[in-house]
Amino acid sequence: MDFAWSDQQKELLAAVDRFVKEQLNYDMIENDRNAVFNHDAWKKCAGFGIQGLPVSEEYGGLGQDPLTTVAALERLGYGCKDNGLLFSINAHMWTAIIPLIFNGNEAQKKKFLPGLVDGSLIGGNAMSEPNSGSDAFALATTAVKKGAKYILNGSKIFVTNGPIADVLLVFAATDKSKGAQGISAFLVEKEFPGLDLSHKIEKMGIRTSPMGEVFFEDCEVPEENLLGKEGAGSWMFTRSMTWERGSILAAHVGTMQRLLETCIRYANERKQGGQSIGKFQQVATKIVEMKMRVERSRHALYHYGWAMNHRKAVYMEAALAKLEISDSWVKCCEDAIQIHGGYGYMVEYEIERELRDSLGSKLYSGTSEIQRNIVASLLGL
Amino acid sequence: MKILVTFKSVPDPYAGAGAAAKSVINPFDEIAIEEALRMRERGEATEVVGVTIGPAQVDEQIRSALAMGIDRALRIDDSRALDPYALARILYSLVTKEAPQVVLMGKQAVDDDSNQVGQMLAGLLGWPQATFVSKIEFLDDKKRARCGRETDSGIEVIAVKLPAVITADLRLNEPRYVSLPGLMKARKKPIETLTCEQLGVKVEPLTTILSISSPPRRPSGVRVTSVEELIAKLKEEAKVL
Ligand SMILES: Cc1cc2nc3c(=O)[nH]c(=O)nc-3n(C[C@H](O)[C@H](O)[C@H](O)COP(=O)(O)OP(=O)(O)OC[C@H]3O[C@@H](n4cnc5c(N)ncnc54)[C@H](O)[C@@H]3O)c2cc1C
Repeated sequence: MDFAWSDQQKELLAAVDRFVKEQLNYDMIENDRNAVFNHDAWKKCAGFGIQGLPVSEEYGGLGQDPLTTVAALERLGYGCKDNGLLFSINAHMWTAIIPLIFNGNEAQKKKFLPGLVDGSLIGGNAMSEPNSGSDAFALATTAVKKGAKYILNGSKIFVTNGPIADVLLVFAATDKSKGAQGISAFLVEKEFPGLDLSHKIEKMGIRTSPMGEVFFEDCEVPEENLLGKEGAGSWMFTRSMTWERGSILAAHVGTMQRLLETCIRYANERKQGGQSIGKFQQVATKIVEMKMRVERSRHALYHYGWAMNHRKAVYMEAALAKLEISDSWVKCCEDAIQIHGGYGYMVEYEIERELRDSLGSKLYSGTSEIQRNIVASLLGL
Repeated sequence: MKILVTFKSVPDPYAGAGAAAKSVINPFDEIAIEEALRMRERGEATEVVGVTIGPAQVDEQIRSALAMGIDRALRIDDSRALDPYALARILYSLVTKEAPQVVLMGKQAVDDDSNQVGQMLAGLLGWPQATFVSKIEFLDDKKRARCGRETDSGIEVIAVKLPAVITADLRLNEPRYVSLPGLMKARKKPIETLTCEQLGVKVEPLTTILSISSPPRRPSGVRVTSVEELIAKLKEEAKVL
């Protein structure tokens, strides 16, 4: 494994470092409280090139490889404190853009990718349902072909970007009798008749990332919006899920690095009992452990990115990266609060929000239990 | 209309103390580049050519300028510590070759704060100059430019005939950051290298820098515990009250 950056990668990463010093973080406390999506920052990120990192230049993107992409996102997370914005960007990239790149036909790619890259379109993915979460392929939403259209009926839950989406990748059963092999994926556009995106869901953390329930009542989807072949939905989902798992927490390796630096500064400045609290061994140990977690997470992330650049099957690396980073992020936030004492618990210090934001990472894109199941089965258990 | 914009590579003025100073485009030159790009975007300029004088290491800053959006770049390969007059003479021969309508420059470089190259270049060319400029507007079908100059007593508005040399002050604009698509495009844009010999100009610095020393370190302050103590110290130690 060689993680030494080439001159071109260095140049790109330095540009991200510079970009994140721009205003992406304004009104964070208010926006979190009121669950406001920062559309302006979304557009800034798109204009800068974030959403298009893995998309080929043909469709307006940058054509970067997975390792460079996750490293750029890590830098973005270091500077951008709006974890909800980052989550919306990630959902958009991994659950809408990536499936389109792999499975879209030329017309679909031409129609959607340039807008998804330049920020004018917002994408998302609707798989989970009230009665099918971890067991995603047990979904109940149906799609029945009628002439040149599919008619969708059912409902989806926990749809990130749902309330603001222009296009959602929706999974539905075209043939119930075939189980997972009877699932198909559709590019559902917001103005399609029979689609209801209006039901927002309020969350504990990443509150600036809008989430909703989605209802389909005889929703009409033209056949040209079927992604891939009929029945290929579960296979496509599994394939793009590898990207999603491995990459979705990249930004939070940067978040952890920022938290670590914040804690070091505070531990040196804050004095109790006549000395910096950092001189207390129990505080120093917490910071050392934070450092270990950041380094392990970064290594797991780069290892995943490197494997993606070199191999086809990276299920193990993706699951391990997701597990390592989510566990580490939550623990780093807990420690950061503890190190800051009572101040860490107060909204003004902007650390309690990090903890709330971090907890969902053990749930979305497959819970930690499901990731462990994957690792166990790959180990032959 | 062609615009020639000059820039210098300087140590990052915003790098924290003790940080290894990486090089950046001189901030005032970055403002000049931004202004030239806006002129092109408004359809006033058709080509923006960037020029810098320095060794191959400054190619990194050239790529930043290309990534911001200048059309092409020239580097005059010279690694000597040249003084303002020598730089102005090199630029003079380049301007005669490129024949731009406007030379846009930063008012000064933040490393040596000379603030002379623009004025000397205008003198050598026999062109009008507008220095410390915080607003530029073209008049009479781009035959003249109305420039607002930042002076100690207020904004002085002057009109200069083109071609002219214009130097940028801080408030002229806020430069854009380099976007990743800009960076990718920059990789395909040419950087042309020229030597003084090729330009037919022979320069020797007339001034030599003898030494550079940093300002003396400010002694650390003392914490006072009360207003009374503060007033006493201001009276007795600082003797300002
Ligand atoms: C912030 C956030 C954003 C999300 N965004 C989206 C989105 O954009 N699109 C979308 O479709 N979905 C989204 N989801 C839904 C997410 O994918 C599901 O919440 C997740 O798959 C778990 O499903 P569930 O909530 O129904 O929990 P369940 O599957 O009911 O799980 C409950 C508990 O049982 C455990 N469990 C379940 N099965 C097993 C098993 N086989 N072995 C061991 N333990 C098991 C789980 O780990 C968990 O602890 C999002 C969720 C969150 C929290």
